[in-house]
Amino acid sequence: MTKYIIRRVLGLIPTIFIIITICFFFIRLAPGGPFSSEKKLPPQILKNMQKKYHMDQPLIVQYGQYLVDVLRGDLGPSYKYKDYDVNYFIKQTLPKSMLLGGLALLVALILGIGTGMISSLKRNSWIDYSSMSVAVIGISVPLFVIAPILMYIFAMKLNWLPVAGWLDDGGAKTLVLPVLSLSAPYFAMIARLSRASFLDSLRSDYIRTARAKGLKTSVIMFKHVLKGASLPVVSYLGPAFSGIITGSIVIEQIFRIPGLGRHFVQSAFNRDYTMIMGTVIVYSLILVFMNFLVDIIYGYLDPRISYS
Amino acid sequence: MEMEHYNELNQHVKGVSLWQDALKRLKKNRMAMFGLYIIIFYALISLMAPILPIYSYKQQVLNHQYLPPSFKTAGQLLYEKKSYFLHAMAAKEGRTVLNSKEKKQLSDLKQSLAVEKKKLFNGKTVLVNQRHYLLGTDSLGRDLLARIIYGGQVSMMIGLIGALTSMFIGVVLGALSGYIGGRFDTLLMRFVDIMYSLPYLLLVIIFMAIFGRNIANLFFALAIVSWLTVARVVRGQVLSLKNSEFIEAARASGAGTGRIVFRHLIPNTSGVIIVYTTLTVPSFIMLEAFLSFLGLGVQAPFASWGVLIQNGVYAMTTYPWLLWFPAIAMTLFLFSMNFLGDGLRDALDPQSKNKL
Repeated sequence: MTKYIIRRVLGLIPTIFIIITICFFFIRLAPGGPFSSEKKLPPQILKNMQKKYHMDQPLIVQYGQYLVDVLRGDLGPSYKYKDYDVNYFIKQTLPKSMLLGGLALLVALILGIGTGMISSLKRNSWIDYSSMSVAVIGISVPLFVIAPILMYIFAMKLNWLPVAGWLDDGGAKTLVLPVLSLSAPYFAMIARLSRASFLDSLRSDYIRTARAKGLKTSVIMFKHVLKGASLPVVSYLGPAFSGIITGSIVIEQIFRIPGLGRHFVQSAFNRDYTMIMGTVIVYSLILVFMNFLVDIIYGYLDPRISYS
Repeated sequence: MEMEHYNELNQHVKGVSLWQDALKRLKKNRMAMFGLYIIIFYALISLMAPILPIYSYKQQVLNHQYLPPSFKTAGQLLYEKKSYFLHAMAAKEGRTVLNSKEKKQLSDLKQSLAVEKKKLFNGKTVLVNQRHYLLGTDSLGRDLLARIIYGGQVSMMIGLIGALTSMFIGVVLGALSGYIGGRFDTLLMRFVDIMYSLPYLLLVIIFMAIFGRNIANLFFALAIVSWLTVARVVRGQVLSLKNSEFIEAARASGAGTGRIVFRHLIPNTSGVIIVYTTLTVPSFIMLEAFLSFLGLGVQAPFASWGVLIQNGVYAMTTYPWLLWFPAIAMTLFLFSMNFLGDGLRDALDPQSKNKL
């Protein structure tokens, strides 16, 4: 097991390296750069600017320099916001995005598995039908439709919750709408997945044995069914993570949350090369690490999977 | 060639092909059929858009900004708006009736509306104030109904072309990879794995922001990543079919790789391919809408559902119809596609029922 983990962690390095490389050359392929704006800079100033950010050197040298910097944990200065570096921006914004995404995932998991469990126990009842209809809505309606509609109903018409804001100026209430809307599609998917797999395991022999022993339904559900039936949900977590990352970009735009996602889109428009690179590296690290974690959990839940 | 079949009791038996069987099952699935009818309706509307009596999607009538959805003509609405405003102002001053100055304003407006303002557009004169805006107008006085229909054309086109392109690449590469195997297979699957671990939507965002926002770039950005899943699925199907008798028979009778792959293997995976195509269309539409929402998709004067929803979000406090109608139009279509896709999967592979 330890060997497996070490090997996997070492395996992450080339993936990150490939991502950095693709991204680095990809964004420099396009014409223009961070200093090309509507107002043309005098050539001398442009030259000095490029010199300051080492952009006058050949691309391959810049690339090597960038790799060395990243290895030291320095993501470089922002090209657009003078006197700020990328590390500072990420330190400011990442915790907010992580909190948002983490809570959304947690809500999706708890509500989704709970709904799936109840639906499978009360199969073909009105609870089952209504919760599965809600799940289909959650899958078909895009995030950027759900969020404004929830905002319209709960913030503007009913006035229960704030329209936008963040913890420091509106308290925990500001989190409710963003987290709920971000979790909706994943709640729906997890509910459907877990209903199907719960139904499968409820029919299996070992559950019949457990029932025959006279165990209570709650014990059967939580001790016997849950562990085996959560496998499809766990393997769905990987795609869910990347979905939540891209989803939070939209949610941060709608609810005006000063998180990493908003900076990312803005820096892509600004051609702020180091900011783009820095954000992509952080996102990929999170994604790759989460996928790694999913694999570990998967192996724990299903002992048939061997790590050799 | 029609074959007559008889069972052991010498009764006539009619053979049922996979497709007839699937069609029968699909017809029994009410939600899927509902989805199918809705999709046909959408397709008809957008195909007939040029001959339908709808207004232009890009003609701006600047004094018709933000008219609410209604069956009345634009002129009537403008008059009501003015009269409502004047009455409100009068009520503020404690009067219930309008004074002569205000009455004059109203009758002036009525007269100016009656003398029809003609606008020249695309060589046609348009009686602007006689227009009916069934779904209201947007910030530039454009008809929302027309924008939803033409935006739908763009969205559906992107969904369809995107799904077909990714299907084509994915099926060919997946089938070849599964059948040839060996180093080609290893390399391709390794590549797919790496692409999977990339945060590809982020790359698409960067791509669109840096290389310019036009439809061609959008297609390219979406098509380079979307074939991965299809390739994997088709490869899996081909692997399981590869050693079956009919392939061996084909090989024994001297068929080459190309013939076996394209004549025997791919047609036998067509069920999976059809199901995936139906399910990819909505995901493409969602992706396009996602990018448009961030301001990276289709650019004005063209619209797509995503663009309309984005405009609607920013105006929803005061002009909620700008959000509701595009959102409903898009959601209904996505719903129908998903229902149809699920129905097709159940119909073509009955064992998959209750699975995801």
